[in-house]
Amino acid sequence: MGEVPLLKELYAQYKDRGVAFIGISLDEDQKKLDEMVASKDISWPQVRDADGSLVTLFNIKGTPTYYLLDRDGKIAAKSIPIDKLSSAITDLLKK
Amino acid sequence: MKNLNAARQIVGRESLTRRGEMKRKTIAQLFGTLLGLMFLVTLTARAQNTSAKPDDPEMDRVQAMVRQAKQESEQFSKSGSKASEPDSPNLKWAATLWEYRNQHPGTAATAIATTEALRLLVRADRIGEMQTKADTVKLDEAAWKRAIYVLMEAAAKKKDYNYLISKSQALSQTAVDPEIKVLAHMTLGDAYWKKGDIVQARAAFEAVVAQYPKTPSAEEAQGNLMEMELLNPGQPAPQFARTTIKGDPISLAGFKGKVVVLKFWGTY
Repeated sequence: MGEVPLLKELYAQYKDRGVAFIGISLDEDQKKLDEMVASKDISWPQVRDADGSLVTLFNIKGTPTYYLLDRDGKIAAKSIPIDKLSSAITDLLKK
Repeated sequence: MKNLNAARQIVGRESLTRRGEMKRKTIAQLFGTLLGLMFLVTLTARAQNTSAKPDDPEMDRVQAMVRQAKQESEQFSKSGSKASEPDSPNLKWAATLWEYRNQHPGTAATAIATTEALRLLVRADRIGEMQTKADTVKLDEAAWKRAIYVLMEAAAKKKDYNYLISKSQALSQTAVDPEIKVLAHMTLGDAYWKKGDIVQARAAFEAVVAQYPKTPSAEEAQGNLMEMELLNPGQPAPQFARTTIKGDPISLAGFKGKVVVLKFWGTY
């Protein structure tokens, strides 16, 4: 959550350069998530993983966790810290 | 932020939940309510029955020491001093808690004192001294339930997993408490994995699946085995199709040709 402002910066920087952002929320309370997304003005799509199936699919053990995928849908990085995201995205865009 | 288990302190994330715990959260909430009711009943019973088990004053004493140590070391670092300096309160309190351990063998309070003494040594960057002391903690002691996380913290700090591996190995075979045994297996797998020894990591997690079937640990081990198999860099990301909170359909396949940042998060 503390990372939202940073992520918004990244989103603004890359959204028109072929980079998509998807939020997968582990929240149990849909309303809380809706409120947070509205109040923080988060504009990338959000999915609520109500049944935990995406958590299982990606073996997520904690939040926040980032996966970075390349243009072919392959895993480029997992559990990447937010301060490494920008340079990792730039590298992928060069390929 | 939530502090759900000791591993979180090592990972340093906003929150860390074991997968099993996430799924059980709703049940846990119900259980919490139930526990609250039971607590009220117990209080009433205790008021009527003075022979009820008394509180543990020794535990209070040790926890007060731990709090004091934390407070002093926070002040120490605020004043610009490093936790590794010889006059660090971490070292003073590690010695005090260890002395407590020597004088009160085998109690629940001593298990905490032991763990916290080791933790303070790690914080003070005295990894070697921590290991020497940890070697005197017998493998059947209850302290390992928490102390193993301290070894994990030390290993992550030094990027050296060998001590953690040898200790986890010994505990996974010799510990008496089954909970410590399974924890040691999991830690062993994690340590090998972090070290890059996939063959050994796999063996440790497979042992958990085989020996502790249908437990949250087995589920976690299974998840790790799957991740080692399928979720490596260069492999195709698992496909999914869902509906967004705005009601729009979304599928990963729809993002082909784009770099994708997937963020797993929560508002909690």
